[in-house]
Formats: sequence, structure tokens, C-alpha cells
Amino acid sequence: MTTSIRFDLKHGFLVVALALYTAFAAGPFLWVASMSLRTTTEISAEPYALPDTLHFSKFAIAWTDGNYGTYFGNSVIVVLSAVAVLTVIGAMAAHCFARYRFPFRRFLYFLVFSTIIFPPQITIIALFQILVEYGLFNTRTGLVLAYVAFQLPITVYILESFFARIPSDLYDAARMDGYSEWEIFWRISLPVAMPALSTTVILNTILLWNEFLYAVVLITDDDKRTLPLGIQKYMGDQLIDIGMLATGLMIAIVPVVIVYVFFSEKLIQGMTAGAIK
Amino acid sequence: MGNVKLDRLTKRYGDADAAAVDDVSLDIERGEFMVLLGPSGCGKSTTLRMIAGLEPITGGTLSIDGEVMNRVPARDRDIAMVFQSYALYPHMTVFDNLAFGLKRRGFAREEIDRRVTDAAGILGLAPYLARKPHALSGGQRQRVALGRAIVRDPKVFLFDEPLSNLDAALRVSMRNELVKLHQRLGTTMIYVTHDQVEAMSMGSRICIMQDGRVAQVGRPLDVYRHPANTFVASFLGSPQINLVESGVTPGEDGRSTLVVGGARIHAHCPPGHSRVIVGIRPEDFYLPGEAPDDAVGASLAARVLAVEALGAETVLLLDVEGVEKDVTARVGRSAHTAAGDLVELTVDTRAMRLFDAASGVALDPGSTTG
Ligand SMILES: Nc1ncnc2c1ncn2[C@@H]1O[C@H](COP(=O)(O)OP(=O)(O)OP(=O)(O)O)[C@@H](O)[C@H]1O
Ligand SMILES: [Mg+2]
Repeated sequence: MTTSIRFDLKHGFLVVALALYTAFAAGPFLWVASMSLRTTTEISAEPYALPDTLHFSKFAIAWTDGNYGTYFGNSVIVVLSAVAVLTVIGAMAAHCFARYRFPFRRFLYFLVFSTIIFPPQITIIALFQILVEYGLFNTRTGLVLAYVAFQLPITVYILESFFARIPSDLYDAARMDGYSEWEIFWRISLPVAMPALSTTVILNTILLWNEFLYAVVLITDDDKRTLPLGIQKYMGDQLIDIGMLATGLMIAIVPVVIVYVFFSEKLIQGMTAGAIK
Repeated sequence: MGNVKLDRLTKRYGDADAAAVDDVSLDIERGEFMVLLGPSGCGKSTTLRMIAGLEPITGGTLSIDGEVMNRVPARDRDIAMVFQSYALYPHMTVFDNLAFGLKRRGFAREEIDRRVTDAAGILGLAPYLARKPHALSGGQRQRVALGRAIVRDPKVFLFDEPLSNLDAALRVSMRNELVKLHQRLGTTMIYVTHDQVEAMSMGSRICIMQDGRVAQVGRPLDVYRHPANTFVASFLGSPQINLVESGVTPGEDGRSTLVVGGARIHAHCPPGHSRVIVGIRPEDFYLPGEAPDDAVGASLAARVLAVEALGAETVLLLDVEGVEKDVTARVGRSAHTAAGDLVELTVDTRAMRLFDAASGVALDPGSTTG
């Protein structure tokens, strides 16, 4: 009896706590979502009201007139390329750090990882000049490369710790089965590390999708801009078009939510992983 | 089928002073079941991994069927290995685990299907082919690991303590199955274990290793009966052999008198030894009336310290006058003895072994008959 009451209390407390947290986290999102369907005039009149009429046309306006279609396309291209390159290069580097003993291994690992301590503001000017020099300034390729460089250390770090936990017998077994080191990477390391790979994919996707600083410095043409820059477009010096801003935000947020929902199970697996036997 | 020849094989890890495997020479014949036996850390796995090609060889030569293999990568040696941890590919089904090595070697689909089905049939894995390893029991995983080696039909099988993760009952049945498998395939097998029962029951020959060196190689019973030194003598056999230091009084025509506790035993002992270690296996003691008629006996008075009645046999812990260490004797199950009793034991002196007191090396093994 007492145990079940205590269980109910504990359970109830948990539900209340989670409900509060959900309201805290989802509230602003819902607010923006409702604003995205209202005009700025409506919002200024009554900021917290629910939409009267649903102005879905605002999305079309943002997409075409606001050039959001282009920004969205750029974001997709830049983020997908950067994440793909990051995942492959990061996994290869992590595989080597975790599986092979070679001279200066620890030093190299430290070198890669130490760049994590520099905030992006420190490197941005040098990066700007380098890209100008190589003709990569104001190109999407340049932005992709900057993103890869920026996210590589943490990617290698996450993957290395996972690869290091894969039992070495597994690799030896594959060697005995006739596979080369290169094939072992593709056929053993990558599939077995799927949970960790999903973690880095989702982490990098979300981070780069929202990335602003590099994008604003390294891209000047409107046609090459990514979504975070597009959102800024509705923030003039004097005036913020809050209604359109909300619409733009929704366009930017929805893909992230979709990616998260799609990968979240893997993400949790990756974070709690270690159960490879 | 392959002949595996180790010639002064040596392995030194990094810049370690001591070699993990030191000057090991071993000629393993085609179709032989060779067991590498030894205590933890004696270099069994290292030796096996050098044969497999997973560990670079520091010195000496390894040849298979007369071909030097030192620099041949693992994948070109045509050797299959079963790991202690099984090392199943967690992301593949049982079928794919078995087929993985065949695919790499470019077998046709039908051939792969045939081999996998055959192996699965032999090992009773047919119902599990579509499962992933995590959904299998320990014993089933073990079989998959075995199957992965069998399907390849390699020249040589290597096993590194493959049964040590199984429970006792399963271990015994797998032991028998491995022996049957060996008879059926006739392939050379090299089997690493630290379990002497596995070694004795499975090996056509066993190679006992100590500190990276070969202590003795031979057929199980030969090694058991004629251990080359005290290390081998005490490593094999449970309960352990009794090793008692004794003085030697030389007598005429090569027969000396050994003094074990209060007893005097006549035995052949090569000249030039004033002290020897006498090794007597627990089963070579007999209670009065139990000794076989042809036993050449010496008598030993002892006091019983403890009695372990195990059902099939009874193990006595004895205090022998003048012998410091307790002596173990393994006597018939019908022994009626209790702690505190004084007993008169007969020792079969033909089974007794003598070792040099200083080096522990066997003296003239096999000829202590009186
Ligand atoms: N990768 C390695 N680096 C350095 N030393 C090693 C390495 N692997 C093994 N050794 C050392 O080599 C010696 C032999 O090890 P090995 O694994 O061959 O022993 P083993 O006989 O298989 O023991 P066990 O029964 O415990 O498996 C040990 O002293 C061990 O510490
Ligand atoms: Mg070992």
C-alpha cells in the first residue's frame, strides 16, 4: 500500500515537473508558430492572441518575395555537404586515432582537439583572409570548408571515444575473414558505430543549420545566403517586421524539428551507448 | 590441411625487456590437434596471434606447408580463428556473419548458400540464421563463431580459449563436439587454453608453455606421466602432484635409497645427486588392500588431516612425518577414514618421478622403475 502511494506521489511529481519543462521549452515555439500566421499589425495590437484568420500566404510571400526559397536551398546544400564531409573525414580520423598506434598519435590528437578552445571570433579574420586568397570568399564551397574545419574536432572526439570501445577482436576477426583495413573501416567501423554517427550527424546538422557568424562574414551575395542570414533581413535598423520574422523562423525551425524527430532515438542510443558486446 | 612450423619464434612487445614469446619451436603436423597450455600471461595468445598474422613476428620463422609466412598478411594465410569473445559482427545476421569471409573471397552465391547451410546444419544453427548476435544465447554465439571458421574450410583452425565463456555443462558438450568436428574435418587445429582438462581430453599433443617458452611438448598422457620438470608436473593434474624434497643415499647397481619422510624408497637415480625432488601423483597412493597386485610399493605412515569425499573418489589431506608440506592422496570411494586416523599408505614407486632439486628438471624421465 505505502509503496504504491509513494510511487504515485513520485510519479505525479515527475509528471508536473515534465509538464512545466515542456511548457517552458515549447511555449516560445508555439508563440512564434502562432505569430507566423498573423500579420505584424495584428501582433502589435494583441501580442499573445491566437490567430484570427490563418495567413498561410505569409509563407508563400517569405518563400518567393523574401527570397527564402533560395536561402533554404543554400542552407540545405551547405549543411548537407558539410555534414557529409564531416562525417566521412571525422570517422576516418577517429578510426585511425582509435585503432592504430603510430608516432605522434597523442600529439596529433591533442593538436586536433585543442582547436576546440578557440572561440570562432578569434579565427574569423584569419579565415576571411585565407578564403579571399584562395578565391573561396563569398562561395558556398568556402563556407562548407569553414564549417568542416570548425566542427571537425568535436566530431572526431565523439567518434574516437566510440570507436575505441569497439572490441579489437572484431577487427581481428574481419582481418582473418580477409578484409583490408580500408574495407574494415567501411564494413565494420561505420556500421557498428551507427549510433555515434547519428549523434554527430544530428549535432552537426542542427548547429550548422543555425550557424550565423561564419555565414554573415564569409557570404555577401544575397543569392548565396543561408537561412539564418535571411531571417535577419526582416530586422531593419529601425523597424522589425515581427510577423514576417516569425514566418521566417518557422521555415528555419521546421527542418530541424524533423531531423530531430527522425534521428532522436539514435541520438539517445548514441549518448547512452557502450553496449557493444 | 596444413603443416605449421614454428622455428625459434620470438615476440617482443614494443621495447619491453622480456620477450612475451621466447624462442618457441614447434612442428605441428597436418591434421593434428595441438593444444597450447599454460598459465595466464605465458604467451599462448601471442603465439597464436603470430600464427594468425595478427601480430608481427619479432624473430624466428613461421612456415605453413613449407612456405615462410612471416610477412604474409593475415588475410592471405588461409587460416581461420575463433576468438574467446566470439567477435561476432553485431550489425549482421548469423547468416551474414558466416558468409562475410566467403563474400570477400569471391565465392558464388550458390556456393556461399551451400556452405553456410551446411555449417549451420552441423552446428544446429539453422533456426537462427536470420537473427542478429545480440538475440542469441552464449552457447549459440559460440557456435556462430565456430561456424564462421568452418565455412571457410581453411588450412588451419586457431582457437583462443573458445569455451571459457560457457557454463560448465555446455563446456563439456562443446568439448566433445569440437573433437568430433576435428575428426570429421581432419584439419590442423591449434587450440589455446589454460584448462588442463580441455588440453588432456582434446589434444593429440599438448605444448605446455611457461614464461614465453615451451616447457614440454608431447601426447597428453606422456606429458602427464613423464613431465619434463616440476612446473609441468604441478601444472597438470588435479589435485596437484605432491613434490617432496628428499635426500639420496647411493647404493649398488644404480639403485639409490630415497628418504621421504620416515620412509626409505629404493629407486633408480642418476649418480651425482644428493638431493632430489620426488613427485608422486595423488592417485599413486593406495590405502591398505587397494593397491593393484603388480604395484611396486613402498610404505608411508601418515596422519589424516582432512577427508574430502567427492563421491567418485576420496581425497585425503595427509601429514607425513618428516615432510613439511601436506600430502594429497586420491583413494577409492569406499575409503573409511576420518580426520585424525593414522594410515599406512602404499606408494606405487613406478609412477614416481624424480626431479633435480635445484633446477626442477626431470631426472632420466620414465625409468624410475625399481
Ligand atoms: N599488446 C600487448 N602489448 C604489450 N604486452 C603485451 C601485449 N599483449 C600481451 N602482452 C604481454 O605478453 C605476455 C603474454 O601475453 P599473452 O596474451 O600471450 O598471454 P596468454 O598466455 O594468452 O595469457 P591468458 O591465459 O591470460 O590469455 C604477457 O606478459 C602480456 O602482458
Ligand atoms: Mg590469452
